[in-house]
Amino acid sequence: MSISFKSLSHIYNKDMPYAHKALDNINLDIKEGSITAIIGETGSGKSTLVEHLNALLLPDEGSLEILDYNIVANQKQKFLKPLRKDVGLVFQFSEYQLFEETVIKDVIFGPLNFGFSQQEAINKSIEALKLVEIDEKYFNVSPLELSGGQKRRVAIAGILACDPKIIVLDEPTAGLDPAGSKQIIDLFVSLNKTLNKTIIIVSHDNEMVYNYCDDTVVLSHGKVVYHGSTLDLFSDQKLIEEFHLLLPQIVQFKNELTENGFKISKEARTIEDIVGEVIKQVKK
Amino acid sequence: MKGLVFGKYIPIDSIIHKLDPRGKLIGLILMIIAVFIPKSWWAFLVIGLLVLLALILAKVGIKMIVQSFKPMIFMMLFLLVINSLTVKTGDVLFTIASVQVYSDAVFNTLFVIVRLMLMISITTLLTATTKPLDLTLGIEWLLKPLELFKFPTHEVAMMVSIALRFIPTIIEETMRIMDAQKSRGVDFENGSISSKIVSILSLIVPLFSVAFERAYELADAMEARGYVPGAKRTRYHILKFKYYDYIFIFICLATMVFSILTRIYL
Repeated sequence: MSISFKSLSHIYNKDMPYAHKALDNINLDIKEGSITAIIGETGSGKSTLVEHLNALLLPDEGSLEILDYNIVANQKQKFLKPLRKDVGLVFQFSEYQLFEETVIKDVIFGPLNFGFSQQEAINKSIEALKLVEIDEKYFNVSPLELSGGQKRRVAIAGILACDPKIIVLDEPTAGLDPAGSKQIIDLFVSLNKTLNKTIIIVSHDNEMVYNYCDDTVVLSHGKVVYHGSTLDLFSDQKLIEEFHLLLPQIVQFKNELTENGFKISKEARTIEDIVGEVIKQVKK
Repeated sequence: MKGLVFGKYIPIDSIIHKLDPRGKLIGLILMIIAVFIPKSWWAFLVIGLLVLLALILAKVGIKMIVQSFKPMIFMMLFLLVINSLTVKTGDVLFTIASVQVYSDAVFNTLFVIVRLMLMISITTLLTATTKPLDLTLGIEWLLKPLELFKFPTHEVAMMVSIALRFIPTIIEETMRIMDAQKSRGVDFENGSISSKIVSILSLIVPLFSVAFERAYELADAMEARGYVPGAKRTRYHILKFKYYDYIFIFICLATMVFSILTRIYL
């Protein structure tokens, strides 16, 4: 049970004069229970890749194994609904998918579609809304009256309420303030740690990627050019230059400390880790 | 939405793409007149060959044009049935279920079908090779004479171009919201009527709220950049007729004259 792309290609506008190969022979295994980041320049195929994960797009060549489902190119798929229940996709600017009269009605919409009973759906929804820290007093308010960050969290609750095994996030923090972003990222990290959900995050925010993601996939022109540990990626000068990566501040700080004679281990991720190591070395 | 060919601009480079939009609009009007006047197959043959030549020059692919005929098939069949039941002149060709089908019925239908197919090809050719914005510039220019009667040509052209500009955006937005709702288990294709209504609602409500938001943002942006309705405006791109535009218009004009002559003499 894992996520595994096998020679998968996807072509937009096939048979048109301006056909475009968005994904080109992707071979990729994403570990279950990990937090994996997918990064790459605009147009490198990130969104196309994640839309395959719950069969919004189907491969034109190759196949994708995910959980117990196997999606093969040019075959009619019969298990779309159970697959979409198990793989929750949180879209970019997901607040635009809200449409019901009240917050709670909007959140139970997903679970009801996936065949949960009314009571089960309500229970799951309340649970999900609590997870995203939406206060009970908002449950019967129209979602359109909430603030941007709250709307985003309600939309995320709508996905979490379906109880997915894999959660895919496409730029979950785009357009949010730092506090709102951190709240959302912390939520997914804790879902990963406590409930062992596999989390896949598409992001431009290398700070966030460096701080929270175990593994990173780098896409370029529809091809996977790197897949491995995030720490390895950001400590390899050659790779950083090759992919034109923006260095996270923490890494810049680590590099400066190293230049000044401190020995900072690769695993030091947060400012606390670094300070701890510096203190130890100063005390010696 | 993927089958939506009619009215879609195809961004490639060809002679037809380079033609002046005003010339193409005039050409369109002339050619449509040319298509609707004649009653002889000769005229259709000539027009058909010219359209085919233009299609090849525009490099848009015959396949695309054929695709745009698909929605018409039902209408054509309907027309054939109605004509077979009502038109009773000419020779009896064959009899189906005690209905005698006359030759004129078949010919009339064929005429209409050929005309429609030519017209769709010509308009698809125009929209496929002309950027929507250029098209509105062309329309604005053609409407110029109406300014004498205080007709707000510029404002109308601006509205048309904004509407055209946002069609792809709204389509994209629709696809995105559909995808988001599909991820929440909405099935847009199957299901009972009541569940279909809910799925459509889950699409339309967000679409409306996004559209309004965009409209406000656009209005603010236009105001911030000093847009005043009715003010005199200059242009960065100034349209200019080149020699090939005159050749193009001349060909279209000649075709129209030819088809009028076939109506008179053939």
